[in-house]
Amino acid sequence: MLARSCLRSTRAFAGARNGAINFSKRAASSSSGSAAEQSPLGLNIAAVASTAVAAGSIAWYYHLYGPTAHAMTPAEEGLHPTKYPWVHQEWFKTFDHQALRRGFQVYREVCASCHSLSRVPYRSLVGTIMTVDEAKALAEENEYDTEPNEQGEIEKRPGKLSDYLPAPYKNDEAARFANNGALPPDLSLIVKARHGGCDYIFSLLTGYPDEPPAGAQVGAGLNFNPYFPGTGIAMARVLYDGLVEYEDETPASTSQMAKDVVEFLNWAAEPEMDDRKRMGMKVLVVTSVLFALSVWVKRYKWSWLKTRKLVYDPPQASNTRH
Amino acid sequence: MGIWDAITDLIEAATPWTTAEAEAPAAQEEQKEEQEAATETKDEAKDEQPESESAEEQPAEEEAAEEEEDEEDEEEIVDPKEKFEEECKESKQCAPAKHHFDECVDRVTNASGDSEVKEDCVEEFFHLAHCASQCAAPKLWSVLK
Repeated sequence: MLARSCLRSTRAFAGARNGAINFSKRAASSSSGSAAEQSPLGLNIAAVASTAVAAGSIAWYYHLYGPTAHAMTPAEEGLHPTKYPWVHQEWFKTFDHQALRRGFQVYREVCASCHSLSRVPYRSLVGTIMTVDEAKALAEENEYDTEPNEQGEIEKRPGKLSDYLPAPYKNDEAARFANNGALPPDLSLIVKARHGGCDYIFSLLTGYPDEPPAGAQVGAGLNFNPYFPGTGIAMARVLYDGLVEYEDETPASTSQMAKDVVEFLNWAAEPEMDDRKRMGMKVLVVTSVLFALSVWVKRYKWSWLKTRKLVYDPPQASNTRH
Repeated sequence: MGIWDAITDLIEAATPWTTAEAEAPAAQEEQKEEQEAATETKDEAKDEQPESESAEEQPAEEEAAEEEEDEEDEEEIVDPKEKFEEECKESKQCAPAKHHFDECVDRVTNASGDSEVKEDCVEEFFHLAHCASQCAAPKLWSVLK
């Protein structure tokens, strides 16, 4: 068929010029057709068999290598958190410090009974979340070890601004023991330490369904949370509407508390964020000015070279021979 | 285990009408049972020590008490996230996911018991929850402070 159509196209060019060639080609094409008619059964069987082999081998190949193999089921992977439009994550925005204050209140009243925040000292709260006097009063509520006195005894003293927030348990073993074998992680860097960051923690806190979906296996002592990898989390739902009474009278719905505490935890993980963004802006402004200046200086210094004109002044052609 | 077994294994793995199992399912269930038994023994060990029991019970009681108080005090607070997500689940956008989830719930609740294959609706639930939270996210942030 292909050969025949090729011939037809050449015929269009050749036909006008040479009738003899045209005739001989037509004879050749008709002879190949007569060869196929000679043994149609054998050819048909061959065609069917080769087609079957080709289709079968493709099917077998897709059976072996076609379907993608997933190492984990979606349940083991956990539901990926939705992206929320966090204001503090925008380029020109700082933390909402009113939200940080509310979030710290949620941490202190809810989370702090199990989770430590061991890398945050009281002094870092000053100016970002509380006034100096508030932070001092908060520090003095807890007792800390002193240096050894003359007799080598270690006494207790009220906390100072330089002390760190106290942990709810003495060590990890005590924490596991009190929580049925599950260790509540330290929350100082939790936003940086989890995939999805703020979105993940917000979704985790607010994502507990009223009851697990039909047929889901929930282990003993575990709770169903779709966002937790494996869906079985030891922490039960802790945030309920109206659990906390905000001092600025924001309605304390579950999602409001979760949003505030996540923003606070983001601050705990990167307290330098506001400064970092301001510093970044300064760097961009100053370097762009300096770059523009350097471009101008370069062009100024090179101007004599770049603006010179090379002229070839050929000697005047003269017919006189020397 | 002769060479013939190896050949039949290879043929079984390559033929299209067999299913390939990453792990033997029966063995897995046994392992689970063993783990449960292990946790039970741990629990028993804990029960023997009275201090831990009281420590575990106290926070639970406190939480329960707090919840009751809150329910009495402020019943008018409605979580906007739940409200928006419920609306989104009913919306046209999430209709396919909801349809699949409902169908799965019906299938699992009706067929549980006699059938050997244990199906769960976790994946359908994921799709529905993803759709609902995706749809509710911008609305939620416009409401929250």
